[in-house]
Amino acid sequence: MSFNPAELGYLVPYLILAVTGMLLVLAEAFYHGEDRTALASLTAAGSFASAIASVVLLRQLEGNARVPLLGEMLVADRSGYVLSALFAVTTGLAALSSPAHQREHDWQIGEYYGVMLLSASGMVMLAHAANLVTVFLGIETMSIGVYVMCAMRRRSRRGNEAAMKYFLIGAFATGFLMYGIALIYGAGGTTKIAQLATVLGQTRNPGLVVAGGFLLVVAFGFKVAAVPFHMWAPDAYEGAPTPVTGFMAAAVKAAAIAAMIRVFGTALGGDVVPFGMLGWASPLVVIAAITITVGNITAVRQDNIKRMLAYSSISHAGVLLVGVCALGLGAPSATTSLIYYLIAYSFTTMGAFAIVSYVGSRNRERLLVDDWAGLGAQHPAVALAMTILLLSFGGIPPTGGFFAKFYVFKAAMEVYDGQLLWLVVIGVINSAISIYYYLRIVTAMYFREANQPFAPTRSSGLLFVITVCPLLVLELGIMPGWWLKLVG
Amino acid sequence: MLNTIGSFVLPLVLALPIVGAIFVMCTPKTETTLHRGLGLAFTIATLLASLLTLRYFNPREAGFQLVFDTEWIPGLGAHFKTGVDGISVFLVLLTTLLMPLTLLCTGRAIEKHVREFTAAMLVLETGMLGAFVSLDLFMFYVFWEVMLIPMYLLIGIWGGQRRLYASIKFVIYTMVGSLLMLVAIFYVYVQAGSVLGTSTTDLERLLTVALPYNAQVWCFAAFALAFAIKVPLFPLHTWLPDAHVEAPTAGSVILAGVLLKFGIYGFLRYAMPMFPHGAAVWAPTISILAVIGIIYGAFVAFAQDDVKKLVAYSSVSHLGFCALGVFALTSYGISGSIYAMLSHGLTTGGLFLGIGVLYERRHTRRLAEYGGIWKQMPVFSGLFLIIVMGSAGLPALSGFVGEFLTILGTFIAGDTLPAGYDFPMPRLLGALAATGVVLGAIYLLWMFQKVFFGKLDKAKNGKLPDLNGRELATFIPLVIGIFLLGVFPRPLLVVMEPAVQKFTRDFGRRLTECDGPPHTYGTRSCDPSVKTQAEIENNLDAVARGATGVSRTLGRAGGAAGAAGGTGATGAAGGTGATGENGAAAANGAAGTGRPTP
Repeated sequence: MSFNPAELGYLVPYLILAVTGMLLVLAEAFYHGEDRTALASLTAAGSFASAIASVVLLRQLEGNARVPLLGEMLVADRSGYVLSALFAVTTGLAALSSPAHQREHDWQIGEYYGVMLLSASGMVMLAHAANLVTVFLGIETMSIGVYVMCAMRRRSRRGNEAAMKYFLIGAFATGFLMYGIALIYGAGGTTKIAQLATVLGQTRNPGLVVAGGFLLVVAFGFKVAAVPFHMWAPDAYEGAPTPVTGFMAAAVKAAAIAAMIRVFGTALGGDVVPFGMLGWASPLVVIAAITITVGNITAVRQDNIKRMLAYSSISHAGVLLVGVCALGLGAPSATTSLIYYLIAYSFTTMGAFAIVSYVGSRNRERLLVDDWAGLGAQHPAVALAMTILLLSFGGIPPTGGFFAKFYVFKAAMEVYDGQLLWLVVIGVINSAISIYYYLRIVTAMYFREANQPFAPTRSSGLLFVITVCPLLVLELGIMPGWWLKLVG
Repeated sequence: MLNTIGSFVLPLVLALPIVGAIFVMCTPKTETTLHRGLGLAFTIATLLASLLTLRYFNPREAGFQLVFDTEWIPGLGAHFKTGVDGISVFLVLLTTLLMPLTLLCTGRAIEKHVREFTAAMLVLETGMLGAFVSLDLFMFYVFWEVMLIPMYLLIGIWGGQRRLYASIKFVIYTMVGSLLMLVAIFYVYVQAGSVLGTSTTDLERLLTVALPYNAQVWCFAAFALAFAIKVPLFPLHTWLPDAHVEAPTAGSVILAGVLLKFGIYGFLRYAMPMFPHGAAVWAPTISILAVIGIIYGAFVAFAQDDVKKLVAYSSVSHLGFCALGVFALTSYGISGSIYAMLSHGLTTGGLFLGIGVLYERRHTRRLAEYGGIWKQMPVFSGLFLIIVMGSAGLPALSGFVGEFLTILGTFIAGDTLPAGYDFPMPRLLGALAATGVVLGAIYLLWMFQKVFFGKLDKAKNGKLPDLNGRELATFIPLVIGIFLLGVFPRPLLVVMEPAVQKFTRDFGRRLTECDGPPHTYGTRSCDPSVKTQAEIENNLDAVARGATGVSRTLGRAGGAAGAAGGTGATGAAGGTGATGENGAAAANGAAGTGRPTP
């Protein structure tokens, strides 16, 4: 393996995040004063700079060029840069939503921002991963940061419970991931993703590939909170500070899917899948179907908005897994549809959790659906923003969520001989179910009277996120063409 | 395709309400008069813009006109493509006409959140117009869903006591149907993509693809579910009475006046042309359900004590006629169905507006609470009587023409159907549907009698002010429209005719293409490998007979219907058909001579 300094140019987005992250951890040591808004602004600046760097590099990349970096540990390509830009932007939005929540709930800890950026650097590594080893490294870098962020609100018991659960389950999943990688390596003799695609097709140890594929399915199932590996998610989402929940639901999940695109789409995709019933796709389609259904049906019964959104994010993971299955089974537009879904889903999630932060305050966090009664009359703009985001979650046009779902299901229909038709039917029926609980919030906001005036948490960062996300979600739904061209 | 000046009319019509909605949302919350004024101004501007369609519309042409086409989502092949033909042009005008009238009549009945109310109505208008004029499957679906949310908010925010239940029921019912339609859209899209070589959702290009037989049956079922819920066809109608009763007057008017039409329109524009074999398989089921709906709706309407519920069930009955006429697949039936939709839009819209007027004054909708209103509100009562008569199908008013033509179309269906399309017991279904006309007259007049005649024995009814100027301004255009539609059906039917004939001709042609695996329809087997020239010609002949319907073969058709057992009305049609060249004239003549008695 040779090191060529010129290759670092391709990694500027990653370097910006990592270096800013380390600087921020240092800065906290010298920081005076309670309010950490300045650190949050720095974090956002670093994230957006990284995103801009990704977009610039994306534009310089020719067509569908793949540039292997650092001895094919990483790769610079279109989807990698689009995703790393997305992760950076999501991180920036999370950083902007955080200081107000920290101030209101007394957990003003500056390391939080450094850890957030380091975690984001792990995500960018995942977006560019070209080697199973980097996949592992990326997932760990990302996850460890998020475990810490979950536990930051030290005085909150639920926060501690959330962090502990998340950490233990995460560590458990890491075991599966490692073992899966080891078995695949045993079968293929390499961990390079691009080579695995051809090598595994001719392996003399198909048993290892099958077992390794299954283990990877389990490991990623934990990471994206797919049923039946989702048990940690509702507690962790509910217990973690709201901005962290948004970060977990949007960026962490998106990064895990990005890794799945690489691992299942390239390394284990193509000729490797047709081990017939034994390919990784068979458990994954079942998991996808169960995930969508269980996530949705459980969400119907939730009264806590954070838990409801947690279960909704589980069902969204199910839809994403449908896309991954389609990708593995050779649907041509699957990658594009997945990335588009991640973009729409990330903005929707960040916006929704920012509004949850906004509506609550020190005295009353207002996490129950009933607590939102009358928001439409008292704060019409915020209620409208939330409505747009909820419609996007529910997949109703003209929002990004609708087009994302449309595109993923369309990709699933492209699979040879309509094999995934049943999955699409399950998916759309679940969309109808999901409308019910999303509209419960809309119903509370508009159709009922407030029992007590709202005292929202005001901060310019939160307001920025609340304004930008719904607009982007609408733009994504009305003019998806530009984004599709960007993605591929 | 080159876009001419005329082609920009429809995008303008689509843009005006949404621009208005944004504009209204930007004004201060307390300026309610401004909101009402702006809402009215933008809907009237939309109406004027939509009248431009008539300026550029060529009534002799059968295909889509005023087509505006631009690429929307390049990766998907989705186009922003709008256009109208004889089937949709009047529905667009109906929508743009009803909107300002509704807003005008609503006036001060809506007190809370006027800004949001106006914006919701304007967004709803864009959604409805978009769904009527889109010629792209993806675009249609987007607008179809866009309609849903404003209506949900209208019911939920400004509705009555049980509005939460009604609004959610409305959304879930509609969503379930439309999402299964979405699956079918995926299927069509992917299949057509592989046949055509490029992905597209352009309706006209999708129509060039013949899907496999089984796929057509399933896809039609998925589309039909969405449309049948919207129509609403028995037994999928249960959301309608709830939604109507709980919705504010404006919501009810738009729901009945426009939204329900999307069911029938969807069948005509999408489900039947794209899946003719599917339509052939499901036609008997749907026609029988339509007839059940006609009679059931009428009986249940008769049993209601709530005026709004009564009118809601009358919609179930009236829309049954439309569905029946479409699936009879005769030019009479289809023209009549469209005509009945227009009439239903005006009359039922008027009925709901009238109920709104009463409700504002008395705050009740119970029939038992009224009586003797005529003495207090003579002007209103007179206008309302005309609307009721129009709805009941009194000759010389709008309702009669549509119902007469659909029943006639159903009667003669057996003679003109293309091979492979089976319409069960046309005479029986036509006769049963005709009883619906009688029942309709009974419950509507009974309702009118309960409210307006009798003794003025309730103290609260003692001092009711008659219509004010604003309300008069809403009712007069409606009543004029109901008269004009009843007396001069010909200009409208002439415009519809080419499009309707093209529809039946294309439908028959695509049915005889006989694609897919061998299969049988009733007694006839369809096997692509043994298709003989004679068979094709035979089929095309049958199609031609069906297609030329309204203008040329009227005498024959009327005769056939007469033989079927129709008495006064069909005789009248046959008689005038011998002299008049056009079927519209025949209907016109019939309108003057008498109504059909089964």
